[in-house]
Amino acid sequence: MAVITDIADAVAAEINAGSFSQPIDAKREYLPVFELEDMQSLRVTVVPKSLTTLPGGRAHNQHDFAIDVAVQQKLQTTDNAEIDDLLTLVDEIADHFRFKRLSSFPNAMWLKTENEPVYAQEHLQELRQFTSILTFTFRVMR
Amino acid sequence: MADILEQASNWLEDQRTEHATRTVTYERGASTVAVSAGIGRTIFEVDNGFGIVERTESRDFLVLAADLVLAGSPVLPERGDRVREIQVATTFVYEVMAPGKEPHWRYSDPYRKTLRIHTKHVSTETT
Repeated sequence: MAVITDIADAVAAEINAGSFSQPIDAKREYLPVFELEDMQSLRVTVVPKSLTTLPGGRAHNQHDFAIDVAVQQKLQTTDNAEIDDLLTLVDEIADHFRFKRLSSFPNAMWLKTENEPVYAQEHLQELRQFTSILTFTFRVMR
Repeated sequence: MADILEQASNWLEDQRTEHATRTVTYERGASTVAVSAGIGRTIFEVDNGFGIVERTESRDFLVLAADLVLAGSPVLPERGDRVREIQVATTFVYEVMAPGKEPHWRYSDPYRKTLRIHTKHVSTETT
């Protein structure tokens, strides 16, 4: 299997093994397309995003693997309290990976986390759905 | 002098409501009202800003504006309102929404007698 897929699986496993303010069942997907009907409960999706390879030394390269983690849920009210809880969860997931190596893929070292968008305003307005994307970058030297 | 086009349009809307509708429940929070609704559809094509045109189909409910009364007051549709449509033993729940900058409802006739409410299916309940 491709290394980026292994890393995405490791990210999903790491999330599922973690302890958060809400129960999570993260799944890896290649094509994260869902119907609104399927978004009534919390959905966390792990998607391989990109790979950048740079010289790392005479005999090896540094490979930076970007993995997207989408946190999504159809909202009932769109009031602050409901959204606050989901943003807290996003924060917790982001924190969970800081300065860590992935348990099931220890060669991958956390490099950075981006949260863009913190929440998708168009999803909130058009679909009354919370969508936040975390992009984790892991570095593998090989 | 009476506008005979308006009269004709109103007559047609009344005929549509009497003969081509089903009863659905319109909900906003705890407030509900049973209304006669014709079923239609609209296909939206929205440019997502990345060179891709997304095609979305909405289920439309055509309802007389005068029938949409919640908590004793006539109202216009709002995003997030829900429409419950029962078919045999299954309740299909639709939420009022429209993609992009499209309005979530519009008048269906020039005389503002009928509302065309755009929705998307959000859940199914089986009794």
